[in-house]
Amino acid sequence: MKKRIGAVLSRREFARRAALLSATSVVSPAAMLDLPSAGGGDYQVDAGGPKLSPEGQAEASARYQQVLSLYGERLNDEQKTRVKKMCAELQPALDHIRSYELENGNAPALYLKPLYEREKRQQSTSANGKP
Amino acid sequence: MLKESLLYASVGELAKQIESKQLSPVELTESYLERSEKLGSRLNAYARLTPTVALEQAKIAEKEIRRGHYRGPLHGIPYAAKDLLAVKGIPTTWGAKTYADQVFDYNAAVIEHLKNVGAVMLGKAAMIELAGGMGYTFASASLQGETKNPWNTTCWTCGSSSGSGAIVAAGLAAFAIGTETWGSIVCPSAFCGVSGLRPTYGRVSRRGAMALSYSMDKIGPMARSAEDCARIFAAIAGHDPLDRSTLPVDRAAFTYSPAADLKSRPLRIGWLTNAWKEVDPSVKKALDAAHKALAQHFPSVREASLPEGPWEDAANVILSTEVSSAFSGLIRSGRVNELTDPRGQIAGYVNLTISGADYNTALRLREILQGKMTELFDSYDVLAAASLPLPATPLNLDLDKGLSFPDPLGGIGNLCGLPALSVPCGFTEKKLPVGLQFVAKAGDDMAVLQAGKIFQQHTDWHRKHPTLN
Repeated sequence: MKKRIGAVLSRREFARRAALLSATSVVSPAAMLDLPSAGGGDYQVDAGGPKLSPEGQAEASARYQQVLSLYGERLNDEQKTRVKKMCAELQPALDHIRSYELENGNAPALYLKPLYEREKRQQSTSANGKP
Repeated sequence: MLKESLLYASVGELAKQIESKQLSPVELTESYLERSEKLGSRLNAYARLTPTVALEQAKIAEKEIRRGHYRGPLHGIPYAAKDLLAVKGIPTTWGAKTYADQVFDYNAAVIEHLKNVGAVMLGKAAMIELAGGMGYTFASASLQGETKNPWNTTCWTCGSSSGSGAIVAAGLAAFAIGTETWGSIVCPSAFCGVSGLRPTYGRVSRRGAMALSYSMDKIGPMARSAEDCARIFAAIAGHDPLDRSTLPVDRAAFTYSPAADLKSRPLRIGWLTNAWKEVDPSVKKALDAAHKALAQHFPSVREASLPEGPWEDAANVILSTEVSSAFSGLIRSGRVNELTDPRGQIAGYVNLTISGADYNTALRLREILQGKMTELFDSYDVLAAASLPLPATPLNLDLDKGLSFPDPLGGIGNLCGLPALSVPCGFTEKKLPVGLQFVAKAGDDMAVLQAGKIFQQHTDWHRKHPTLN
C-alpha cells in the first residue's frame, strides 16, 4: 500500500518536515541545488537552464527542498534531477510576474462574468447621466 | 459504405441531404463506424468507439425525420467527443491509465446538448493524458499512445485534442468536440488542417467535463469549416445554472442562421507582427498568401501588435496552480506516477509549491491585460496570425526541445478567455497543413467565425483531404 502523503501529519512528522524546510534558510542555495556559484553575480543552473539571481536561486532551492522533504522518498535520482531543473525553470516566470508594477487597487480577475457586469454598470451609469 | 466524398462533406451539406431524406442517418453512421474501425485504430484516434449508442441514436434520428420531426442541422450527424466528457455508462478515461475504468452515471452538458439536437455519438476521441495539464514531453503521453496525423502518419496531430483533430481530418466523423486550456483546439486544428473554434470562456458549459484549469478551460467544435463550427457552437453554447462559470443567458447563447450570413459586418483585421518570434520558412509561404487573401477580401487589414508584458508567465502560473489543485489528490497520493509521461509524473510536485500570493498576482495581471486587450479591440475586430509557427512535428520528437517556444497570442488569448478560430490556409512543401488563427474580443465569437467564413469563401484549403488507404 502506498503511503498517503497529504493525510493528517503526526506532530513528529510535522516537526521533521518543518526542520527540513527551515534548513533551507541556512544551507547555501547553490549547495542545495548543486549549482556553481558565480561569485555574487547571476547563477547558471546548467548549460541550458535559466540564469537566476541569488534570491531567485535561493527560492528555487527552497522549492526543491520542499518537494524533496514531502515527496523525495518516491522520486528516483533521474526524477530528482528533473524536479531540480523544473524548480529553476519556474523561477523566471515568478520573477517576471512579480516585477510588473501593480497598484494596491488592482484586483484579481476571476471569471469573465465580473468583466461583463462592470461593462453593464458603466453602460447604465452613462445612460443615467450620473458619474 | 457511402463514398468517401460524402464522408468528407460538411455538416451543412450532410444536413441538407438528411433533411430532404436523400441520406439516411443510419447509413451515414454505419459508414463512419466502418471507416473509424478501419482507420481509427491505425491513427490511435479513438479512445473507444460506441457503435451501440451510435446506431441507437441514428435509428431514433431516422425515425423522427421520417415522421417529419426534423430537429435542425445536427440531426442525424455523427460526431466524436473528446474522452474527457462524461458519457453515462461508458468509460471516460481522461486519457490516463489511472482513470481507465472511470464510469460516470450522467452525461456532460455538451453531450446532453448534442443529444437534444439529434446528433449521433460515434465514440470518444483519444487525448493527451489529463489534457496535458501535468505537462508532457512526448506525443505518446496518452492511454492510447501517440495519435498519428492523417496527412503524414510519421507526424503528430498535436494535443491535447489529438484524437478530435485526427478524426475530423481523416473523415471518421463529421465533426468532433475538443477542449482548450492553452492551445489544445488551435494546435491540433492547425496540424490536422481542420477548422477549430475555441469559444469565449464561459459560453459552453463544462459540467461533466474534466477540470484542468477552472478559469481557463473551454470546450469547442472541430469541423470542416468555420460555418460548421458556427452550427455546432450554436448547439452547445448557453448558460448553465449548474456551471457557475458560464456567462449569463444573454451573453452565453449563440444563434446561427445561414440566412443571416453570420450577421455580416465589415471586419477590421489586425495582422499581428509579434505573435511568433520566428516562423518556420515552410509555413511562411502559406502564411504570406493568407495575408494577401485577407487584404483582398476584408475592408481593412493593418499591422497590429500584442501588448508586451508578463502575460504568458501569468497564464502559466494560473494554469499550473489550478491544475495542481484540480489533481491535488492524484499528486499527493503518488498515483501521478502512473501517468505515461516522465514530465507528467513529477511536474505536479513542483506546481504545488507555487504560493497563493503568486497565484493572486497572476490573477491581478489578468485584469490589467483584459483592459489592454479591450483597448486593442477598439481598433480591430479580429486579430490574425499563424496558428502555429511550424507544421506538424515528428511523432517521436522531444517536445521540450522541438515544440517549446514563446506563445504570447495563446497565452493572452487563453488568459483573457478570448475566442479563436483556426482555419487551414495552405500546405508546406511536404504537404503538411498550415493554420491561420483569428482572435476576437471576449464574447465576439461571431467575429472570428465571420472572418473564417469569408476566408473560406475565397479559398479552398478546408476542402482538401489526406489520402488514406
